Amino acid sequence: MELREFNNQVHPSPDYPSPYSSQHSLRLRTGPTQDTSAVQFDWSSPPEDAEDSNEPQNLRELPLHMSLKRAVWQVQKMKVPVVSSSWNIKRSKTFHRFCEVAKYILSYFVLWNRGIQRIGGHFGGGVRSYFLFLRFLVILNFLSSLLIAAFVLIPSIVFRSMKFNSTIALTVNLNGTESCLHYDPKPDALMVFYTYFLDLVSGTGFMEYSYLFYGYYNNSKIESNGFSYNIPLAYLLTAAFYFLFCLICMIIRMGGTARLVVVTGGGAVGGYSMLVFTGWDHGLQGDRTTKLKQNNLRHRLQVDLEEERLKKKAASLTLGQTVSLYALRVFLNLVVLILIGAAFYGIAEATQFSQSRKTTGFVGLLLQYLPSMVITASNFVVPLLCDKIALLEKYSPSTTVILALLRAVFLRLVSLGVLLYTLWEQITCKGEINSGNCEPCSYYYDQYKCWETRVGQEMYKLTLFDFLITITTLILVEFPRRIVVDHCSCKLTQWVGRQEFLVAPNVLALVYSQTVVWTGALFCPLLPFINTIKFIFFFYCKKITLFQNCQPATRNFRSTTSNFFFLLVLLFGWMLSSVVLLYSVSKIHPSYGCGPFRIYPAMWEVVPEAVKMLSSSSKEFLFYIGSQKCSIPLFIFSCVLLCYVNVLTSVHGKSVALLRSQCKLEQRDKQFLVRQIEELNATMQNLHREPQQPLRETEPFYHTSPQWNQYNNYAFDPNEDPNPY
Amino acid sequence: MGGTSSKLSKDLLSEYQELTFLTKQEILMAHKIFSELQDKENGPYGARVSMEKVLTLPELKSNPFRKRICQVFSTSDLKDGSLSFEDFLDLLSAFSDSATLEIKSHYAFRIFDFDDDGTLDARDLEKLVNSLTGETDDTRLTGEEMKQLIGNILEESDIDKDGTVNLSEFQHVISRSPDFVSSFKIVL
Repeated sequence: MELREFNNQVHPSPDYPSPYSSQHSLRLRTGPTQDTSAVQFDWSSPPEDAEDSNEPQNLRELPLHMSLKRAVWQVQKMKVPVVSSSWNIKRSKTFHRFCEVAKYILSYFVLWNRGIQRIGGHFGGGVRSYFLFLRFLVILNFLSSLLIAAFVLIPSIVFRSMKFNSTIALTVNLNGTESCLHYDPKPDALMVFYTYFLDLVSGTGFMEYSYLFYGYYNNSKIESNGFSYNIPLAYLLTAAFYFLFCLICMIIRMGGTARLVVVTGGGAVGGYSMLVFTGWDHGLQGDRTTKLKQNNLRHRLQVDLEEERLKKKAASLTLGQTVSLYALRVFLNLVVLILIGAAFYGIAEATQFSQSRKTTGFVGLLLQYLPSMVITASNFVVPLLCDKIALLEKYSPSTTVILALLRAVFLRLVSLGVLLYTLWEQITCKGEINSGNCEPCSYYYDQYKCWETRVGQEMYKLTLFDFLITITTLILVEFPRRIVVDHCSCKLTQWVGRQEFLVAPNVLALVYSQTVVWTGALFCPLLPFINTIKFIFFFYCKKITLFQNCQPATRNFRSTTSNFFFLLVLLFGWMLSSVVLLYSVSKIHPSYGCGPFRIYPAMWEVVPEAVKMLSSSSKEFLFYIGSQKCSIPLFIFSCVLLCYVNVLTSVHGKSVALLRSQCKLEQRDKQFLVRQIEELNATMQNLHREPQQPLRETEPFYHTSPQWNQYNNYAFDPNEDPNPY
Repeated sequence: MGGTSSKLSKDLLSEYQELTFLTKQEILMAHKIFSELQDKENGPYGARVSMEKVLTLPELKSNPFRKRICQVFSTSDLKDGSLSFEDFLDLLSAFSDSATLEIKSHYAFRIFDFDDDGTLDARDLEKLVNSLTGETDDTRLTGEEMKQLIGNILEESDIDKDGTVNLSEFQHVISRSPDFVSSFKIVL
């Protein structure tokens, strides 16, 4: 009957166990004759599917008490024919057992798993996402350094130690460029200790002519006994593959987080119910952590509610107020841009100044580190000022956070870009390679005898300085702050309070370091390895400072959307460094005196030459792939694929919306029917009290009245045979 | 019921492994802890541990939902929240690492349903929010804020607009949260 089927669709019969009643369950808000005061929802009848299906159901997933689960199990055991499928069941059981054991063992091998879980338990999802991001970068750098070591470093070491003779004939036409060939970075034999330390820290002297930098690698092409290895080609292709590898890793990770973002609707929808239903972490132990978490949740709720009230108020501003607010915002944005521009100018000047001076000793070291210092100072001061300005702009709290992040990202990445641009200007005499200082060698030979090594040195210095500053801040700022706050109880220290672990600036620092490493990897092949060690240090140092010095954040970070945002910023950094890579590979003339590309007019030229030496069929194949005959159809095909996936997404979205509206409709129908039944019941009761009513009209009801009385709500009892109507 | 002060038999152990999400080590650990709780128990119910004793466990002591958790998993006829060993295993199974989202969301719904009527209405939600923020007067939300919050929650999650959140609507909200499974966890 329609009612029963309708009911089964809308309300699968309540299938939750309860020790309180053994009768068939009834839904609340049912019969009007039922005593509504003593309502206890009955979760007791076993699920419908258990009796129908023949497959052994997964018992653990039944939300029943143990005794009921055992009963279901007994029933299942009796049903399942012993002979035929017992082997299958046993096999699947052992397979499941094996999977559990394997998962348990593998969880030990995941790097820092327990540490990160502990961090998440104490400090929440936002801080945990920072450490997950750090772990991802450590693994990425480690794998990249393995790659570079395998294809570039180890062959170079082997060939150099075996003193293979280079078989590249110097057939290049040196038109007046003989002067460019001189490059002699070998240090003096006698060295004072402090010079040794200075060289270590600035990458000059003994460090310069070592495997660390580009200049040490030879352009050897080894061919012996049928084994050939072309170092220049290996160097270039390894660098290119390293970039591709990083891109693929990032995209895979972004894909995972993007799926979460799409599924959770960006985290903004359903914010309140999500927070209230899933906000509590049952793993927390101890009164102190519980109180902290409760404070945290209360604060979040209050902030969100206030933000909503502010939005409503903002929507109700008068025209005059809106105009003045927007004018203020435009003005403040201009101020921010001016500040950032000033920072860029400072960086450019510092770079030029430091590149053109050559003093030795401690002053020389300071001068060499001047660009790094200016960048770090501006990255610290400008966001601070921007935060103060943001207070005046009166955005809602979440918009303020996003805006601050965007400004900080812009500042960091573009300041690196300014540094690189200034270097380029110096090296290539502002792009005019045939004028002035760049005359014979197409680069500024007098200052840059081996310009790639110099660029590598700058990146090396940036990396080291970043590491130094972090460790120094830790020791000189965070620990003393905690000691002062804990032991001195004056008002000022209590107002300043303990350090809070701010996730966003820390993540941006990681992104900045990684971008520096990517930019410098072509010129300083060991930089990924140095970075791996640096990030491992970071992990332990940050963990120590987190547990010793920091308090749990009062304002939580939305982890899923912010994970996606961090990876996006990392991707921007990657794009910046790939621009540098492409430009230096194709446009700037490699140094004549050093490095594996010394005889080529551009680093890229290695590849066409190598392709020429391939067999003709491979050559034809490669030319075909690169030609328009192949690339245009490929492009069209990928466009078609993109359109298809897009259409699929929109169809799914539409079906979700359709199902939601169907839910609403069904509930309205249910309410309508309930009202109908109530009315019928009421009429029936009236008829009982007034027996003078003509019998004919009441006959059909009279027959059914015992049934109405016996089953409180007939319409919702699925086991009764349909009869009355 | 499970063994009290004696060891667990192998059959029972494998049966519990079959019926719950717990591993062998976890079941044995639960048995050990439950026996210790029972030793301190002086009451007439030999096989059941009263709610007060269960709440002395460090994992549950500070949980604001501790009483509701005991009441939901208890199969006692007196409805006093006392737990037998199998109830205890059910509790640990639902809160274990390998329990599915469906089981966790089901039990979460029952824990939040303070009046046990099968739906979360405004009163249930108010009690829930108070448990989350703290029960004392200075940690509660104001009446205004509470009304605004409950209105927002119902607007977001009550799909059929009947003024309450039923199990399917609750599970719909939970399914969109990536952190729920890892936060609905109690490990001994």
